[in-house]
Amino acid sequence: MSTTSPPDPSRRQLLGGLLGAYAASLIPWALAQPVADADRGAFAAVSALLAGRQSLDAVQATRLYDALATDDAGFPAAVRALLALINERKIDPFRLQKVLDAERSPLATLPRKIVSAWFLGIVGSGEQARCIAYETALNAVIVADVLKPPTYAYGVYGSWEKKPT
Amino acid sequence: MAQRLSADFVVIGSGICGSLTARRLLKQGASVLILEAGPRIDRGRIVAAFRNAPRKGDWMAPYPPSPWAPHPIFQPKDNGYLVQAGPYPYPAEYIRAVGGTTWHWAAQAWRNVPNDMRIKSLYGVGVDWPLTYEELDPYYQEAEEIMGVSGAPNTGSPRSKPFPMQPVAESWAMRRFRERLAPGGYKVVANTTARNSRTYDGRPACCGNNSCQPICPIDAQYHGGLAADAAEAAGAKLVPNAVVYRIEHDAQGRIAAVHYYDPDKTSHRVTGKTFILAANGIESPKLLLLSASDKYPNGLANSSSMVGRNLMDHPSTSLAFDAEEELWLGRGPQSPSSINTLRDGPFRSKHAPYRIDFTNISQVLSVTQALIAEGVYGPELEKQLRYRAAHHVSIKNVLEVLPRPENRITLSSEKDAMGIPKPQAHYAIDEYTRRGAQVSKADFARIAKLMGGTNLRYSAEGQFANNQHITGTLSMGKDPRTSVVDSFGRAHDHENLFMVGTGVMPTSATCNSTQTGLALALRTAQHILPQREAGRR
Repeated sequence: MSTTSPPDPSRRQLLGGLLGAYAASLIPWALAQPVADADRGAFAAVSALLAGRQSLDAVQATRLYDALATDDAGFPAAVRALLALINERKIDPFRLQKVLDAERSPLATLPRKIVSAWFLGIVGSGEQARCIAYETALNAVIVADVLKPPTYAYGVYGSWEKKPT
Repeated sequence: MAQRLSADFVVIGSGICGSLTARRLLKQGASVLILEAGPRIDRGRIVAAFRNAPRKGDWMAPYPPSPWAPHPIFQPKDNGYLVQAGPYPYPAEYIRAVGGTTWHWAAQAWRNVPNDMRIKSLYGVGVDWPLTYEELDPYYQEAEEIMGVSGAPNTGSPRSKPFPMQPVAESWAMRRFRERLAPGGYKVVANTTARNSRTYDGRPACCGNNSCQPICPIDAQYHGGLAADAAEAAGAKLVPNAVVYRIEHDAQGRIAAVHYYDPDKTSHRVTGKTFILAANGIESPKLLLLSASDKYPNGLANSSSMVGRNLMDHPSTSLAFDAEEELWLGRGPQSPSSINTLRDGPFRSKHAPYRIDFTNISQVLSVTQALIAEGVYGPELEKQLRYRAAHHVSIKNVLEVLPRPENRITLSSEKDAMGIPKPQAHYAIDEYTRRGAQVSKADFARIAKLMGGTNLRYSAEGQFANNQHITGTLSMGKDPRTSVVDSFGRAHDHENLFMVGTGVMPTSATCNSTQTGLALALRTAQHILPQREAGRR
């Protein structure tokens, strides 16, 4: 959970209000997304920037954020710092990891944690790793028109003979 | 309280070979007791465990070991159960549970090619088997009819009766490999698998779940859990969580009893007339070595000193590349097609033969992990993920390893939670196998070229992936001085002790070992049946 004050329902925030001009230009679809608080808003924004998707599931965002913040009390602040950095320096997500690595930024490990959560559904590593999502992880969603996640039936016997379209 | 159990036949191990041997013996009205070290497991829970697993590429993740019957685990870290003495790692994976390791096999149910059993005579390497392919043919057939095996006729393994089923429908990706490699002289054929291409024995046809390893969610492929069910349905008494730790002999050298611990470490003694050791190629020799006595100081069945020796498997090297066209691996079963023309030939005097295997495992997980490792984010991430999932392919060899006494399973000085010594692996990959790997690289390159492949990524030089085909440690042979059991699986040293499983195979050949191990087991069962049954065939 967030380390800041709990959300006040009477003061409903929109993600757009948290974003600088640069980040807003990359994820225009997200600007009108409601957010519970600034920390979760920053997570939603950074998630959208890293994933490069036109939408992200809000319920899954909550579950992933909760898991990531449980593992690391500094996670909310780090996410806000990363969002600020991307905004201020107008860092293209494609270049982000290289920039963080080159500068030996303390934020360098953060993008992989967030992207692993969204794309693999996995939070934590080694013996602490746990699965938060599988069928709804983005790597399953992105190819869902062609493939089913393993253990789910592709289709009736022989349906895989056809050319994938 | 300690139980006293007794049966005509006592089978140690409830895997596919132990259970189907038991089932075969039960048909004659004998009493059969199966002792299994591990717990009962069921398909639904395994499927759920896979879906919830944080490591979906780790096929042991849904099969956690029990404290009383550990098995080797290497991810996220080595649990230290299979002690590595080197010089080369032997990270064998197997499952100690009712049904055994075929819970998570790829259902590859291959026969040897006939010359596999005569490599000493023909090529001057390895050893000859004490029986011929023709002698094994009816038992191969029997195994195929029990499991429901489908396959193509042109894999190099002759047969006197047809397969029970047609090959499983070919995926688009495998079709394109077949079509594009044919002009280069490579015949890509359907694999021989215990996978249903139609409803068989009450189980459905494959629906392409693409999780054959670690679990088929619909039992479209056969596995040891079904074998154990069949043995129990036929009347076997199966005791799970029974960790056999000693085999006891009498003054004449006959086996009198076995002793097992339950999870509370209460010891139980089980008597019987005939004993069948079916605990796999690592646990069975471990148990024989553990059972050393004053009369047999080197362990039971070990007057030849060959128990645990001649450990073999199938190492693989591989080539991954981007195919020219979209193939989208992951549609249909995982391991559907291969090239079988390099399994035999005069070259075997110089280097290892091999099969070339095409994977159809979904690439989505591995390409996602790679993209995250590379730090690719933003819109490029989705674009690259789709491109790679569609184009990434991989081929591997399945190389023969020759029997060498120095490759072996011994007892470690370390003990497991029950106080039982752990198995220790001594393993190396010799020049014969390494030369085979080197030769296969030329095939890899040609195949990639025929597929219009780019971004070629060979596995690291000198690095081999293991295939968990544990063979050789209980080798059968005619000469009691150089082998552990005779051609019927009977211990040379103990008249009423038989061994079944892949450990009895004297050489490893180039194909997955379960089907041959099972055919030999059924032949053993036939042999030890009362004489009235002998004229059936």
